[in-house]
Amino acid sequence: MDFQTILNNFCEMLRYEADNPMIFSSGLFWTLFVIFIPVYALLKKRMWQMIAFVAAFSLYFYYKSSGLFFFLLIGTSLIDWLLSRLIVSVRSGGLKKLCVWASVVNSLGILGYFKYANFFLWNWNAMVEGNFQPLDIILPVGISFYTFQSISYIVDVYKGRVAPTQTWLEYLFFLSFFPALVAGPIVRADYFIPQIRENRSATTQETYIGLWLIITGVIKKAIIADYIAQYNDLIFQTPTGYSGFESLMGVIGYTMQIYCDFSGYSDMAIGIAMIMGFTLMKNFDFPYKSKNLTEFWRRWHISLSTWLRDYVYIPLGGNRKGTFRTYLNNFLTMLIGGLWHGAAWKFVFWGAMHGAGLAVHKACRPWLDRLPDRYWIKALAWTLTMIYVSLLWVFFRADSWTDSWLIIQNIFTNFSLDYIVPFIKARYVWLVMMTFIIAVHAIPQRWHDRMLDLFVKAPWPVKLFGFIVVVQLVIEFMSENVAPFIYFQF
Amino acid sequence: MKNYFGIWSILTAALIVIALLSCLDRISVFGMELKPAPIAEKLTRIPEAPENNPIALADEKLKPTKPVNDTVALDTASQSILIIGDSMLEGLNPRLAAYAKENGHRLNSVIWYSSTTEYWGKSDTLKVFLRKFKPTFIFISLGANELFVRNIEQDRDRYVKSLLKQIGDIPYVWIGPPNWKKDTGINRLIAANVPAGCFFLSDGMKFDRQKDGAHPTHESAAKWIDSVARWMPRHGAHPIKMKKPEARSGRPQSVTVLQPLH
Repeated sequence: MDFQTILNNFCEMLRYEADNPMIFSSGLFWTLFVIFIPVYALLKKRMWQMIAFVAAFSLYFYYKSSGLFFFLLIGTSLIDWLLSRLIVSVRSGGLKKLCVWASVVNSLGILGYFKYANFFLWNWNAMVEGNFQPLDIILPVGISFYTFQSISYIVDVYKGRVAPTQTWLEYLFFLSFFPALVAGPIVRADYFIPQIRENRSATTQETYIGLWLIITGVIKKAIIADYIAQYNDLIFQTPTGYSGFESLMGVIGYTMQIYCDFSGYSDMAIGIAMIMGFTLMKNFDFPYKSKNLTEFWRRWHISLSTWLRDYVYIPLGGNRKGTFRTYLNNFLTMLIGGLWHGAAWKFVFWGAMHGAGLAVHKACRPWLDRLPDRYWIKALAWTLTMIYVSLLWVFFRADSWTDSWLIIQNIFTNFSLDYIVPFIKARYVWLVMMTFIIAVHAIPQRWHDRMLDLFVKAPWPVKLFGFIVVVQLVIEFMSENVAPFIYFQF
Repeated sequence: MKNYFGIWSILTAALIVIALLSCLDRISVFGMELKPAPIAEKLTRIPEAPENNPIALADEKLKPTKPVNDTVALDTASQSILIIGDSMLEGLNPRLAAYAKENGHRLNSVIWYSSTTEYWGKSDTLKVFLRKFKPTFIFISLGANELFVRNIEQDRDRYVKSLLKQIGDIPYVWIGPPNWKKDTGINRLIAANVPAGCFFLSDGMKFDRQKDGAHPTHESAAKWIDSVARWMPRHGAHPIKMKKPEARSGRPQSVTVLQPLH
């Protein structure tokens, strides 16, 4: 092992690799973050230097994930910023509106081209029985997130909720802020831009809260989600290859996997931002505690659901235009939310079913509110909500409609409790992880607060030891394989 | 600035500790060997010379490890196939089951997770399953958990011999491990112990890997079995019917799962 080889390999790792984006739980990010922190701390008092440094780091972070698409990010930010300056400098209301539309059309146009062009072409082909070739398009990472941020900025500037940034660099900082760049939470201009101007340093306590969030995020994303995904993937890859019981476990597993994966990454993003002195919006609030769909969407991907509420549902008329329009607006908002997740009919269906579910819940609310406050009613409500949410995840995850139906059909037609014991024996680690995350969901909030408090107050060596243990666990589980493929026959 | 010292020192100290753990010889904690961080492997990787480039999976140039002297006639009888091995069987099973169904064979599978030649050579597990399934043909997929064992050719030779002794006269093919790094001698060890036409060398093939970087994806594992099936009539000591099936995957008659010993 010579120094030159290590240096060459390190330089090689810094280059863009299409199939290897930089994520927070990677060794490379950790190494770079260790270099980033002291420079950031040194520049913190010199605001513009700090902004330039973080924006440059964010652009590199984006380059590492999306290659030269970081020019697209720069271009989008420049157009948005110029239009936002124009909005505040012109007097004509019509011209202001035109600027808003120009920015929104530009942002959605770029998103539409990269994310939905082939989807529309494919559907057009199917309708006219044409023979168009799909376009060779690579989707830039995080484009859905920063597009929504850009729209929120321009609309907020137009509505006077936030003053436009004085400089383009400040806006670039907002749009490309690396903790939230590739997977959210969706940062809102009216919430975040004032924080840039405040330029507050994190307290020591906040940096440790940030570390705690990173640790919990790493446990959720890199240990639990990545491990249980291996079994879940098997079920979704071979829908007919398993018993109904195994398929059911795969569906429940995916329900927990998507939560751990997404909320874990959000936790890390919020933690990193907190270490830097910025507060990002809470993105998940124990969504699987929900006892109805409305509550679920108040707890799940909060930054998206509130964005959709403020920039789609309310502009559509919200609940101000009568009962039918309220339900329709709800439905349409969720339809758009579904399509935002991906360019495929399965996502549209997933969104539509959530929209329909929300409308039904709203319609039944007067009747539901009269039900007595009994434990069994709450349990029933929770069970029904979880069944609905979990079944819809099947459509979200499966590769095709056929696969989705096959898995659901398998659960109902090929179910046998005989699989329980062998399943427990073969997949105990998977079960331990599932039990752990369910238990984390079940314990009261004050316990979570207590654990956080204990960690923050713990001596330095304890924090260090805890962090090392978690990192080593990530390494151990990274190459561990879940026990899959049991076609037990009795 | 001082607010950041605590967090920075934790991240830096942890990075140094993990780097040391990854660079030093394997350390055991409560009997479990700590794995090195993948970044350490990436940083210390020596670039491969062009001649070491792996051949493509679908490459027709599948080589015998030892040439079979005479042309061996195809055994057209229906076989009772037993496949034993480590977690690689997850990927191999579905495609092999499809082959078995297409060609009228029966397939039983025994997956012993994290198993090695030592597991199988030391115990009489194989004998138990030989009695139970009475196979007429055996596939072995072992070695993936021994790619980096030191002194393997001295330490594990007796276990390989013991395993092969248990198999006795039953025809078999040992499917070598799908190396993701250069091994310390497991492939040489297997090749030295098995007769001609009984060892399919997987080292050098190109695989799409799962997230763990070790196990081939299901698609890739299916192609792996396709390669074995194409290799058998050309270089195998006892070729059996292995007509390519239409079905992408199938289910073995039974799959027995054995847990790791640790």
